[in-house]
Amino acid sequence: MNDDRVVLRVQELRKHYGEVHAVDGISFDVPRSSVFTMLGPNGAGKTTTLEILEGVREPDGGTLELFGRRLARVDRTTKQRMGVLLQEGNFEEYLRVREVIDLFASFFERARPAEEILELVALSDKKRAYVKNLSGGQKQRLALGAALVNDPELVFLDEPTTGLDPQARRNIWSITDDLRAAEKTIILTTHYMEEAETLSDLVCIMDHGKIIASGSPRELTLGLGQEAMIEFGAEGLAEETIAQLRGCCKAMRQAGDQLTVETEDLVPTMGAVLQWAERNEIALRNMVVRQPNLEDVFLSLTGRRLRE
Amino acid sequence: MSGTLGVARTHLVTALRERVTLFWFLVFPVFLLVLLSAVFGRIGEQGGVQFEITVIDLDRGQPREFSDLVLGLFSEMAAPPQEGGEPLFLLTLPPADADPVRFLDEERRQLQRGGRAAVVVIPDGFSRAVTARLGGLASGTGDAADDAAKLRIHYSQGTVASEMAAAIIEQMLAGVDREILRRFGALDEERAIRTETTWVGGGDAETSYIDFLLPGIILMGFFTNGLFGIPGSILFARDRRVLRRYWVTPLGVPRYLLGLSIGHLALCALQFGLIFGIGRFALGASVSFRSPAAVAFLALAAATFTALGFLIASLARTGHAGMAIANVLNMPLMFLSGLFFPIAGLPAALVAIIRANPLTYLGEGLRAAVGVEAGTTSTLLLVGVPLLWIAVSSAIAVRKLRWDVAR
Repeated sequence: MNDDRVVLRVQELRKHYGEVHAVDGISFDVPRSSVFTMLGPNGAGKTTTLEILEGVREPDGGTLELFGRRLARVDRTTKQRMGVLLQEGNFEEYLRVREVIDLFASFFERARPAEEILELVALSDKKRAYVKNLSGGQKQRLALGAALVNDPELVFLDEPTTGLDPQARRNIWSITDDLRAAEKTIILTTHYMEEAETLSDLVCIMDHGKIIASGSPRELTLGLGQEAMIEFGAEGLAEETIAQLRGCCKAMRQAGDQLTVETEDLVPTMGAVLQWAERNEIALRNMVVRQPNLEDVFLSLTGRRLRE
Repeated sequence: MSGTLGVARTHLVTALRERVTLFWFLVFPVFLLVLLSAVFGRIGEQGGVQFEITVIDLDRGQPREFSDLVLGLFSEMAAPPQEGGEPLFLLTLPPADADPVRFLDEERRQLQRGGRAAVVVIPDGFSRAVTARLGGLASGTGDAADDAAKLRIHYSQGTVASEMAAAIIEQMLAGVDREILRRFGALDEERAIRTETTWVGGGDAETSYIDFLLPGIILMGFFTNGLFGIPGSILFARDRRVLRRYWVTPLGVPRYLLGLSIGHLALCALQFGLIFGIGRFALGASVSFRSPAAVAFLALAAATFTALGFLIASLARTGHAGMAIANVLNMPLMFLSGLFFPIAGLPAALVAIIRANPLTYLGEGLRAAVGVEAGTTSTLLLVGVPLLWIAVSSAIAVRKLRWDVAR
């Protein structure tokens, strides 16, 4: 990739704790004005990677190039151009909303007016409220406000919507869209596949400290070579009954009473499944046909689910 | 507003808004001040503290001018004040037929049992020895004093009332002493009447228990603020991942600690204002903290305990562990400092703690600076030891303080 299009370049980044290789020689580029998402189960190494990129942890090896500067570790000058949203509120509970914004503004050489930030995250009417009295969604919007107070070029969103209700989640997504429109570069981590697929330009999937796949969400799911997934519930299936289905699909997975049939050719496979159900007098419950998603990508690469 | 001031302001306002912090910072020291004042002395216009003391006059020589002067002084202090209320001393004199030596033994036992606050002995030949010494001073022939020129003040170590009484007696004698030296034109001399206990200089004869108590309470407030307040702020912020949030900004550890220090000093200043105001206006204290030395020692004390708090915060893994360390340090450092109890005659191991304890030097320095107790330690040590603590603790904190617990 052309160097001036790259905001962050990571090469052979390593971090270990004793015998555990939390980050094991990963390399990737984050293009300017893109949303770059890191996906992976707990312990995959994404939090450690993020901590190194945010400048709160030192790497054991590898190089970082941020805003065109090669760095051994992220320094104060670089942090002036970065904004970070953490998973939790992380604010003093007895500060008022406006005071939090003022406090974080004081940490930077350049800051946007507090009123502008409060308006951006829809907290103008709450500016005198104590942090402890805010709802989960409001706290997260405040955290986003604090992350944007210095008008950063690079924004880290670490699981920005974990634990939020659907409405609050959509609010955060909307602000993220605005950031993308303002040509900010975003590095996102999330547990929600829908979030990753909706927001990301690029996704890198991590496992055991390594990057096991990367590309756009579409590239990754197309790479599976499957057109569709047929999912349904069926109780008390015998092993030999399930085995009858194997011939009519590319692959099949079973989790308890839930079956997922993967196919490159939906129509004949669907017909075969319905005939199989009729023949064996099986009641199909909650049948769904869907496109493959990033969870399927992870599953096909590791044999495990992301949340396991 | 710079990041440092932002942190300072945050520390101050959150402390003032949090009820628990507010209680420990402001309410508790005031409560302790009022409680101790009430327990150890009725205060203000109601007459202040009353001490039971004994004066034994063994001077059988002539002239008796100075022995009578001392006796008269104590009698005066034992007479009911003209403005009403209780006299400062409840005076016991030996009966006319008593054997002075046996009487002294009995009174010393009373002292040990807490029945007396102090026993003052005017030795035989006292007046003559003082006269001879003053004659020597006036004629410029040097120090003509001998042991007979020393008043012996017996007091019970470790008893607050006794310590207080001894301090006040020495205070009174210092006043008389200055008057005698003035009369003999020998003001450059150290003293005319010597005593065997620590000399109490400065101030005036109206020094009361509350004056003695006030610097100690203020120091204790600063001490517990630093020991508990600072690690509490840092470590519980770390437990709630507030520090991690700060650390991803350009703020940095030194500026964070500096901001915290400034906020904490402001909080200490508020605490001082409140305690001093109550001591002065509600409890009738007359001690003044206006001298540059007093202000310097107050600032040095607040800064030292803040740094001590940094040290604890940089070594503890969690907020609760930090509080446990502070608790372990609190009592030994407080009581092995001379702030509340005298430190003479303790085992060598404890003396080592006392010598290393910054509170020892700050307590002595502040009391000397406000004139309620004369120090025996050099100014270099009084200032140097706390400064050393600040330097070492801050250096360790800047290097060791982390946003998370070490993995």
